[in-house]
Amino acid sequence: MKRKGLLAISLVLVACLLLAGCSSAPKSSAPAAPAEKVLKLRLPSSLSSLNPQNTTATRDVKVWTQIYEGLYGIDESKNGYYMELAKDVKLSADKKEYTITLRDGVKFHNGEPLKASDVVFTYNRAKKDPRFGYLTAKINNVSAVNDSTVKITLSEAYAPIVHTFSSLKIMNEKEVTSLGDKFGTVPSKAGTGPYFPTEYAVATGVKLQAFEQYWGGAPKIKKVEYRVISDDATVQVAFRNKELDYLEDASLSNWDTLKAEAGPENNVMIKGNNIHFMAVNYQSPTNNSILANDKVRQAIFYAVNKDDINKAMAGGMGMPAITYMPNEYVPTSPVTGFETYKFNQAKAKELLKEAGFPNGVEVGTIISYPSPTSFNGRIAQVIQSNLADVGIKANVQIAENAIITPKMYSQNYDIAVFSDSNNFDFNNIRQQVHSESKGMYLVKYKDGKFDWQRIEKLVEQGAAASENSERLKHYTELWKIIMDTATINPLIHRPVAIVWAKGLNIGKPVPTYYKVKEFSWQK
Amino acid sequence: MYRYVINRLLFLIPSVLGVIFILFLVMSMTPGDPARILLGDAASQAQVDELNRQLGYDLPFMEKYVRYVYKMVVEQDFGVSYFTKQSVFEEIWPRYKVTVSLAFIGIVLSSLIGIPFGIYTAVRQYSLWDTIPSLIAFFIAAIPSFVLGMLLLYAFSLQLNWLPSYGIESFSSFIMPALAVSIPPAAFNLRFTKSSMLESIRQDYVRTARAKGASEHTVIWKHALHNALLPVVTNVGMSLGNLICGAVVAEKLFSIPGIGSLIVDRITYKDEPVIIAGTILISVCFTVVMLLVDLIYAYIDPRIRAKYARVKG
Repeated sequence: MKRKGLLAISLVLVACLLLAGCSSAPKSSAPAAPAEKVLKLRLPSSLSSLNPQNTTATRDVKVWTQIYEGLYGIDESKNGYYMELAKDVKLSADKKEYTITLRDGVKFHNGEPLKASDVVFTYNRAKKDPRFGYLTAKINNVSAVNDSTVKITLSEAYAPIVHTFSSLKIMNEKEVTSLGDKFGTVPSKAGTGPYFPTEYAVATGVKLQAFEQYWGGAPKIKKVEYRVISDDATVQVAFRNKELDYLEDASLSNWDTLKAEAGPENNVMIKGNNIHFMAVNYQSPTNNSILANDKVRQAIFYAVNKDDINKAMAGGMGMPAITYMPNEYVPTSPVTGFETYKFNQAKAKELLKEAGFPNGVEVGTIISYPSPTSFNGRIAQVIQSNLADVGIKANVQIAENAIITPKMYSQNYDIAVFSDSNNFDFNNIRQQVHSESKGMYLVKYKDGKFDWQRIEKLVEQGAAASENSERLKHYTELWKIIMDTATINPLIHRPVAIVWAKGLNIGKPVPTYYKVKEFSWQK
Repeated sequence: MYRYVINRLLFLIPSVLGVIFILFLVMSMTPGDPARILLGDAASQAQVDELNRQLGYDLPFMEKYVRYVYKMVVEQDFGVSYFTKQSVFEEIWPRYKVTVSLAFIGIVLSSLIGIPFGIYTAVRQYSLWDTIPSLIAFFIAAIPSFVLGMLLLYAFSLQLNWLPSYGIESFSSFIMPALAVSIPPAAFNLRFTKSSMLESIRQDYVRTARAKGASEHTVIWKHALHNALLPVVTNVGMSLGNLICGAVVAEKLFSIPGIGSLIVDRITYKDEPVIIAGTILISVCFTVVMLLVDLIYAYIDPRIRAKYARVKG
């Protein structure tokens, strides 16, 4: 009898614990006043800081874009950059001096008016920080002409500086200085954007409040909450459970379910401003430098089926790529006038035969990161299979970034699968094809058998030209040369899946830098 | 006894120093560096070197180790995170409390469920009251905790809409994670307690107690259980240690800001100060739990108490 009693007590305790919890469970269906309804968004990982100069990582910049603004902004729905805090920009005859007049009536969240001295402070701070070295390297000097005008002098004519103008978010000098080392670790009022932070914890997320004195008009949604939810499956449950209102870059594996849950008017799949590549190291010593053979490299390119890659990586929802950046988001990105290596097994076999390998050939190892189930990892495996179909044998090695990227960057590989993303100027290609660049210079053109001087010249001419049409001309020629070398092959643009709650308007969906100020609740 | 406790606590010092040394050694042997990760591919080597210098990452291994230990001991300073620039202690302490709370709830639940059922099934061996709970325990023990977590999410969050799917805003937020971390050890507790009890009730002293006419209640609770509890206590202590170290799956799945998920996340950034401080806290906690287990052992087992008494005498 007493044993039964003990068991009963245990069960009652467990039940009490559960019921106590249930009693305080938040009900997603609980009515809330429309004006106070909180917009809930997901952070896939911790927000590193509230200091917009802590990192250039896209996931953090997406949040900072709601709080801070640059001289220029990025609007993917309107083909790239636009003047944000800049009202007028005058370029000197030598194209090295930008005289920028600031927008009138802009206030920081702390009530201070925006002044040229804040821009000088922000840019000088960035210049001292190695994190922003690649953005500020061309800037010689930044000075205030008067309270509303700032002069930025470059070391050479450089049209992609607009990317820097967009990336460096203007901060209030007084607020940043007064907080000292604490800046970025606690909520502050140093931005001019439509929202300011009210609560912040690295572990859980950040809460934002609408800035009623925002120069562009008070945002319609007054409260925003970003929550860290790292697991994709949990995110889907949270969205279906109405604990999230806007979910961007949603997992593709359960897209049909999410789409059905969101409804026909509340989902979209758009081309991402990202790209997955394969690079072939023509200087690799493998198999008696087999990859130095132009026909073998071309055969590899023709053997790759981008539709297979699309199916394996994105369930057929991706967009096969032909160039470095999507022209929809980067107007200076070429679209025609170069070889695209459309999938053609017969041609691949013919090229192998012409190269003297009618029975196939071994080309070494395809390396990629970070895991076999990642996008890059899956692509590498599909390419291995595609190559095998035409008689080209390759091994696959997939490991952590820290192991693979040094091999890529030191050109110690045969074939590499990698990715690049979220820049809005074709000049970004510099990092892949110009010998002065660091990091992503996977194919060493310099001193090689290709016309590397012309490649580098075209990169420089593209950056120096100020008109988009002229830049497009240079980049088209550049891309033609690159594709003719059969060394870098653009494979696929990953799709960006977005769903949002019923009753929420999000304006025109964009793949990366959405603006919550454009959102509103339906009445 | 006191001397034993003090000795065990003093033993923590070389343990922690050893843990730090091993961590620094392992971190120095792994490829990559935090500046390259923070700056990205576009940064030049000079920029990477400069940031590594600013972070103090470029120092020789032994110098880094000695500096770290000095700062930790003399200034009680665990450093600043490379990733967030926040004080490491301020970052990990709230997360540590969350993980420990989750682990304690998990261990209480798993003990409350597993031990009584384990006793009951042992006493009722070969009956339906033994077969059904044992089969259920066998089944649950085979389910990975992330699968269990997903099932809970599906049932309580998605279908019934009773519990939030993520976060720790309210007590209700703890329920699913606590169940996810407690049900598998509860199954193990049941099986462990049952086998321990079965072994115990077949011992001569139990037979003797019965022969002396002791009631079944006294035989089970006083004689059999008392002895059967010894390995069970060890198992529960180990489970608590494992939960503190290994709640990372539940933390990830339910987006709970715990210390396990923090360490896993920061390994990606090679955020040495956070990884090392977090691991130190976990190792200290594990050692303290093991000490508590030993003390409970001494309390339960008169032979051990007597041994300490002899040492004292």
